[in-house]
Amino acid sequence: MEELNSCFFNPSILDSLSEDSLHEIIGSYNGFCDATQSLLTGNGDLSVAPDFVSHVHALCKHRLHSLVQDHFLRVLEETFERNGASRFWRHFDPYSHVAGLNKNDDLDIDEDEIQSVLYNALEEVTLEKQYQEKCLLMLVHGLQSYQDQMLEDKHDFEGERSYLTSKYQWIVSSVLMATLPRHFPVILHWYFKRKLEELSTIMDEEFCDDASQNKDGMDLDEKGKVCNKVGEMDVDECYNDHRFSENSRLVKNIGKVVLDLRNLGFTSMAEDAYASAMFLLLKAKVNDVAGDDYRSSVLQSIKSWIQAVPLQFLHALLVYLGDVVSYESTSSGLKSPLAPQPSSCCPGINTPSEGLVRWKLRLEYFAYETLQDLRIAKLFEIIVDYPESSSAIEDLKLCLEYTGQHSKLVESFISALRYRLLTAGASTNDILHQYVSTIKALRTIDPAGVFLEAVGEPIRDYLRGRRDTIKCIVTMLTDGTGGNSSSSANPGDSLLEELNRDEEIQENAGVDDDFNSDDRQAWINAMRWQPDPVEADPLKGSRNQRKVDILGMIVGIIGSKDQLVHEYRTMLAEKLLNKSDYDIDSEIRTLELLKIHFGESSLQKCEIMLNDLIGSKRTNSNIKATISQLPQTSVEVGDSAIISMDVISATIISSNFWPPIQDEPLNLPEPVDRLLSDYAKRFSEIKTPRKLQWKKSLGTIKLELQFQDREMQFTVAPVHASIIMKFQDQPSWTAKNLAAAIGIPADALNRRINFWISKGIITESQGEDSSDHVYNIVENMAETSKNGASAGTQDLLGGDEEEDRSVASVENQLLKEMTVYEKFIMGMLTNFGSMALDRIHNTLKMFCIADPPYDKSLQQLQSFLSGLVSEEKLELRDGMYFLKK
Amino acid sequence: MATNTIHGNNESAQPNNIASSKQPLPPAKTVDSQSVLRRLQSELMALMMSGDSGISAFPEEDNIFFWKGTISGSKDTVFEGTEYKLSLSFPNDYPFKPPKVKFETTCFHPNVDVHGNICLDILQDKWSSAYDVRTILISIQSLLGEPNISSPLNPQAAQLWSNQEEYRKTVEKLYKSGN
Repeated sequence: MEELNSCFFNPSILDSLSEDSLHEIIGSYNGFCDATQSLLTGNGDLSVAPDFVSHVHALCKHRLHSLVQDHFLRVLEETFERNGASRFWRHFDPYSHVAGLNKNDDLDIDEDEIQSVLYNALEEVTLEKQYQEKCLLMLVHGLQSYQDQMLEDKHDFEGERSYLTSKYQWIVSSVLMATLPRHFPVILHWYFKRKLEELSTIMDEEFCDDASQNKDGMDLDEKGKVCNKVGEMDVDECYNDHRFSENSRLVKNIGKVVLDLRNLGFTSMAEDAYASAMFLLLKAKVNDVAGDDYRSSVLQSIKSWIQAVPLQFLHALLVYLGDVVSYESTSSGLKSPLAPQPSSCCPGINTPSEGLVRWKLRLEYFAYETLQDLRIAKLFEIIVDYPESSSAIEDLKLCLEYTGQHSKLVESFISALRYRLLTAGASTNDILHQYVSTIKALRTIDPAGVFLEAVGEPIRDYLRGRRDTIKCIVTMLTDGTGGNSSSSANPGDSLLEELNRDEEIQENAGVDDDFNSDDRQAWINAMRWQPDPVEADPLKGSRNQRKVDILGMIVGIIGSKDQLVHEYRTMLAEKLLNKSDYDIDSEIRTLELLKIHFGESSLQKCEIMLNDLIGSKRTNSNIKATISQLPQTSVEVGDSAIISMDVISATIISSNFWPPIQDEPLNLPEPVDRLLSDYAKRFSEIKTPRKLQWKKSLGTIKLELQFQDREMQFTVAPVHASIIMKFQDQPSWTAKNLAAAIGIPADALNRRINFWISKGIITESQGEDSSDHVYNIVENMAETSKNGASAGTQDLLGGDEEEDRSVASVENQLLKEMTVYEKFIMGMLTNFGSMALDRIHNTLKMFCIADPPYDKSLQQLQSFLSGLVSEEKLELRDGMYFLKK
Repeated sequence: MATNTIHGNNESAQPNNIASSKQPLPPAKTVDSQSVLRRLQSELMALMMSGDSGISAFPEEDNIFFWKGTISGSKDTVFEGTEYKLSLSFPNDYPFKPPKVKFETTCFHPNVDVHGNICLDILQDKWSSAYDVRTILISIQSLLGEPNISSPLNPQAAQLWSNQEEYRKTVEKLYKSGN
């Protein structure tokens, strides 16, 4: 260029030019322009070539070769713009409407048509380009031959040529880019997608075949073409001959398109197009394989699919391109300025493998991420069927290890929880089950429990707000079936199992402790230490305290183990009191397990309760043994039935250690009552000085009712039995009389007798007195059968209402506790005038030694006090509580 | 909490120990204070649960041996509508010795002196371990309405007692100025 400048802009040189030479220059320049024009526009007509060369020589003589080059290139550009680019784009004009479409949409274009259009267009433009390159070469030759003639110092011919060709390449790609229509990338994308799909179906079959066949390593080497050693990657798949040819044809087609595009300067666009097509395919594959099935691990199969299909394709493509490049690189110089990284255009053995490794990493990361997103989105469902879906969890764990997007999981899962689980419609049991499954599942993903902490927090908070949480937890803990909804519940969720496991852990822990005293072991432990994940909240203590312990986390919901033990005691009492045999093996076992976890002392009362049962069994058989020797061992009931003392089994409890027992007054039928007092007498004979006090409303009675036409058996509560026995003497009773005879309030009677009415054994009718009902026994079933009352053996425990519980529920006990506290609070405020919240709290803690002792938190007390304020018993002024005068 | 209280108790018990040389061995003493503690706690519990109107008492913040009491004057007596604060201080050998009970609020009463000391037989020679805080408070409450005029600590009050109307006025005047 500098040379050129000096030529044109140095007037002294212009002056030195003679008139003749000026004419010569103008003449040969005009000739050169004409020759160039005819050369480039003429259809392959090279007849002007010698003319062209001579003009070039003439101009060069005047050192005007830069002018020659510039002009030639400009004409070349104009020609290409006219002949190459605009024609090329015209091929795609019919598809201009696809530009607006989403890349993922299927184009409703004839597949073969667009394919052939693409092929034709590329062919044509390549031909044009090749021709122009030929012309360019001619110019180069002209310049070269001139220089040879002049025998001047050897000009850098190679440099000249590559300068011109790269300049030309620039021109081609800039012209194409400048005129690029918007729909072209879409078409390319679509094309590659189609081709890859086609390829993947072929390879899929092969892949499946391969899975069944044993891979034959020797065969590979013979296949020469793909046997490059590519590091530890195992892309060398078996090729069956016929398939291989089909594959390679397809790959060659694609390769040719890619190559053509590259020659036109579309390197990165082509790469983008097939990469996005490949990712799309991979995504579809992952979705397809992973789907909604969580029972099997899919990661491995996806990985081998990546090996088998896309990598195989890439490998073949790269090899194909590499082959072509290897002999063309000398002539065309593919290094398009638009290719950011010539990842695969260099030939050789090592470079494709490097490119492939990079591709493999990209593809695998994408696969991991796709699968992870898929699994995270469905994590709630996965955890719902947790034990079955553990392989999906495993997959997710691997994915997360790779991508490190744990926070995504936490966020998404918490919002799923809030939306789907923590709603009023979900039963506490279900929430607890899901919580347990969540703990178990996330324990796999994250043994340190960091994310579990974050995820568990909303569940715990929510559960604390539910009143039946403790009850459900205790049921889950003690009931092998895992909760009330026994049929649907999963046995894997049972916390009892967890208790068992815990036992083993404790045993192991003991062993560990011994080892820890050993320095060597301590050193090993220290070596094993790993830092917390970065997401760990440093406020929540270190990993040691965060050991994932399901029971601990469950108890954490309740707040204190005392509350749990208390609830357990109540439930145990209920269960034991309803037992008619003395079989308590499972309860003993549960208690032993609980003792391991919660400590012996806190469960002492429960142990006494179980011992009571064992003692009862012994006492019971003792009493019966003494009775059999005595004459009067049975009483007559009515006309036919005889009850012997053998049928009585007593549960004798040490009531101090049991939760408060709800006792209602009840008059048992006189003969039964006599039997019971006989029993009590025997008891006090055997166990002097102890005496037996019957809780007559508790227990169960098996009875058989005989009617004129039928017999029925029931297992009922004493009050039901007493009611029905009254009808033995007298077929009809008014409600008032019956209630008086049994010794229970009339409204209680009305409630209880419903049991018999629902069985169709007693009917209710309006008596003479409007406020009194009359109950009649139904002797003959045939009369009432049309009422649809059910008959037959029923084994239904009469107790179906809350009031039928033998033991005061924990809520009632809590209410009772609170009234104690209320009295204390009243007492202290009477004497001290006004007190602040924490002083009340401390005073209660110190002096309220009731059973159970004051164990409420400051918050609980505060809410209790504000309850008293709203009842207008207290006043709150400036943070001090006063008695309301 | 419990250990704290026991500790406090031991300290206050020391002067007594030094005074009488024939004290039992320290372990026995601890057992004693334990049982005193239990007794006072159960008395507190019983008092709180009894729900008697007009009498109340509660231990001070950190020492169960010092209680504050409250008595309101019974209906149909000159003390109706008034409320008196008491202090109760229990000895370490309670309940074998009576607690020291004093009026903290000025009480114009024949058997109560200006310092609040009370002349009540069950708090002196007639004490029995069967009594407890509740019975003491009830006795003092009934003493308000039925003073023992024969052995007055406050002769002026004893003289005025016969004139119930005047007496009532004096009580009210003192009560208002006292508050």
